[in-house]
Amino acid sequence: MSIAAAGPGFLSPTGVEIAFLLVGLVTFGAALVTVTTRQLVHAALWLVVALGGLAVEYLLLTAEFIAWVQVLIYIGSVVVLILFGLMLTKAPIGRSPDADSGNRGVALAVAVAAAVALVWVVVDAFRTTWIDLDGTVAGSTKVTGESLFRNWVLPFEALSVLLLAALVGAIVLSRRAKADTAARTPQAQGDRSTGRSTDRSAKDAKDTKEGSR
Amino acid sequence: MNGTVEVALRLLIVFAVFLTFPLIVGQTEHKVMAHMQGRLGPMYAGGFHGWAQLIADGVKFAQKEDVVPADADRRVFRLAPAVSLLPYLLVLLAIPLGPGEGAVGQVLDAGLFFVLAVMGVGVLGSLMAGWASANKFSLLGGLRTAAQLLAYELPMLLAAASVAMAAGTVSLPGIVESFQWWWLPWQLVGAVVFFVAGLAELQRPPFDMPVADSEIVFGAYTEYTGLRFALFLLAEYAGIVVLCGLTTVLFLGGWHGPWGADGLGWLWTLLKTAVLAFVVIWLRVTYPRLREDQLQKLSWTVLVPLALAQIALTGIVKVVIS
Amino acid sequence: MSRPSPDHRPATTPSERSRPSVPGSGLAKGLAVTLRTMTRRAVTQQYPDTQPELPPRTRGVIGLLEENCTVCMLCARECPDWCIYIDSHKETIPAATPGGRERSRNVLDRFAIDFSLCMYCGICVEVCPFDALFWSPEFEYAETDIRDLTHERDRLREWMWTVPAPPALDPGAEEPKEVAAARKTAEKLAARQQAEQAGQAGQDGPREGEA
Repeated sequence: MSIAAAGPGFLSPTGVEIAFLLVGLVTFGAALVTVTTRQLVHAALWLVVALGGLAVEYLLLTAEFIAWVQVLIYIGSVVVLILFGLMLTKAPIGRSPDADSGNRGVALAVAVAAAVALVWVVVDAFRTTWIDLDGTVAGSTKVTGESLFRNWVLPFEALSVLLLAALVGAIVLSRRAKADTAARTPQAQGDRSTGRSTDRSAKDAKDTKEGSR
Repeated sequence: MNGTVEVALRLLIVFAVFLTFPLIVGQTEHKVMAHMQGRLGPMYAGGFHGWAQLIADGVKFAQKEDVVPADADRRVFRLAPAVSLLPYLLVLLAIPLGPGEGAVGQVLDAGLFFVLAVMGVGVLGSLMAGWASANKFSLLGGLRTAAQLLAYELPMLLAAASVAMAAGTVSLPGIVESFQWWWLPWQLVGAVVFFVAGLAELQRPPFDMPVADSEIVFGAYTEYTGLRFALFLLAEYAGIVVLCGLTTVLFLGGWHGPWGADGLGWLWTLLKTAVLAFVVIWLRVTYPRLREDQLQKLSWTVLVPLALAQIALTGIVKVVIS
Repeated sequence: MSRPSPDHRPATTPSERSRPSVPGSGLAKGLAVTLRTMTRRAVTQQYPDTQPELPPRTRGVIGLLEENCTVCMLCARECPDWCIYIDSHKETIPAATPGGRERSRNVLDRFAIDFSLCMYCGICVEVCPFDALFWSPEFEYAETDIRDLTHERDRLREWMWTVPAPPALDPGAEEPKEVAAARKTAEKLAARQQAEQAGQAGQDGPREGEA
């Protein structure tokens, strides 16, 4: 235990450390249920619990800003998007028989490998770093902003460009779908007037609607 | 132990506000809506101009049977009202009423992000209700809720970001602290965008397609009865209180007023919140419901560009004056 | 879906359609309408607490002035849904003067209106030649048993107390016929009395009207 000697010991945990551990267990459990449950929407809701637990962990590490951004982006937007998609695809109430994939073993291996790599890297990087919870807040908005725009401004900008590219790509894709539909409009109208509708034109129209959102 | 007592007291006060203010807004809506339509509204409950109507409603809801549809996902169905109601209680904790630490439930460093994040979580309740009810109308309502949230979260965040830029902080008391009167015209567009987007997020008319009763019965809440239904309604009115309080704090200067700012600041906050709540009701009475595509169009083609323009304006002015 | 339809305008400018004006003026107008309505008195009538002010010709219930009824049966026959029941018998009245002829007259036994059938058309009131039926504005006679809605003659007579006085005639209108006839008789009588008094005063004057 040479690591422990460098900072506060493991054997006399403070209340925050105990809470951190407990919340971590809950988060881990929720994540496990997320990938093992056979009810699709339940998986999404357990994902909410896992992500929320992560936000609480950030809070316990006094990284308030990161915690709320986690809630805002992941629970407020990403999970809502997932739920939206699930509802669009008629997620059944109860078990989905096809929720399990045959690649379960491979997925497990990949997940374990990824987890091990992450844990290893993080432990290696922050081996002896201890956050002093009682001193100056290390994760306040001000500190986060300063480090983001002073030390990490290049990755930040690179990410911005990446997101912009994704945005432009989405617009281009949706516009092309619209152009396709416009070219087919006379036929589509003819179909509608005679009460027939080919799958293709209906799909195009739907795509356009999705794109315009 | 003194600190514990104080925390408990604050939580109690916030909880009391949480239970009474939505009722006051609801009763005001009853009466204002009635008079705007040339009616009188409730007149009997409680004796004097039906002041106890909502209490009577609550008693009625409590007496009703709690029905869960046979095909519903029981656990999610029962959990949904709490998920949609609790976030607003948490948000109320962070809204400052007056200057100083004594007039806010809990001072948060990133209060702005906290309120916006937690308000977004409240919509999860509607989604859960919509999916778990095993009813096509509920599902449609849930879908519309999700689409609406996705569309209006962005302009709301952008407008709030503009104010945060202007104030140079994301703490709610900090924003009010640095408020100047000329912020009103400066942030006017942002205020309108924020308020409209907030209305849409609360699913208040004219943005109430998720509960459009002439099309999809009552949207995600179709299958709910009794107390759980009442909780959803309470969530809507608590949402009005929260939205009006937030708009007051962010854009109308909170406890600042032309006079009497010392000591009576909390009165200014309450007054501004009440006026905004009246506007919410007024808009509901005046305008018809938008269509679903009009709703999306309003968000993406009007509100988002307006919010971006506001951010640009804020940035320019900020650079010029510094 | 793919074509931009003309009505997909942003909601902020609904007034653009009709004529060029300030964007949003239509929205402001709507707000003004509701605000103005709020400042006006509500039109709600709080009925059970305050009685409504009904116009005098309100068709609430039909009252019967049975003294005027001659059992001519016109009302019962004209009634579109046959809700008036009349029973009567003939009575012979002994001659008024010795040696005179006996007269027969109709005596009303039963007069009932079934208000569960009545459609308040008022034909019976209009058709009555002797003013025995009247409209009354009373309307609170709901019953829990439909049979109680058949009002017999005593109940119908009671309603007469609620019949309001007929509205005043227009200024300059012709006098009602019955009033004119009554006044003519009264004037004649008065003239005769005057003449009598004048004759008594003159002692020997010819006495007119004394057969």
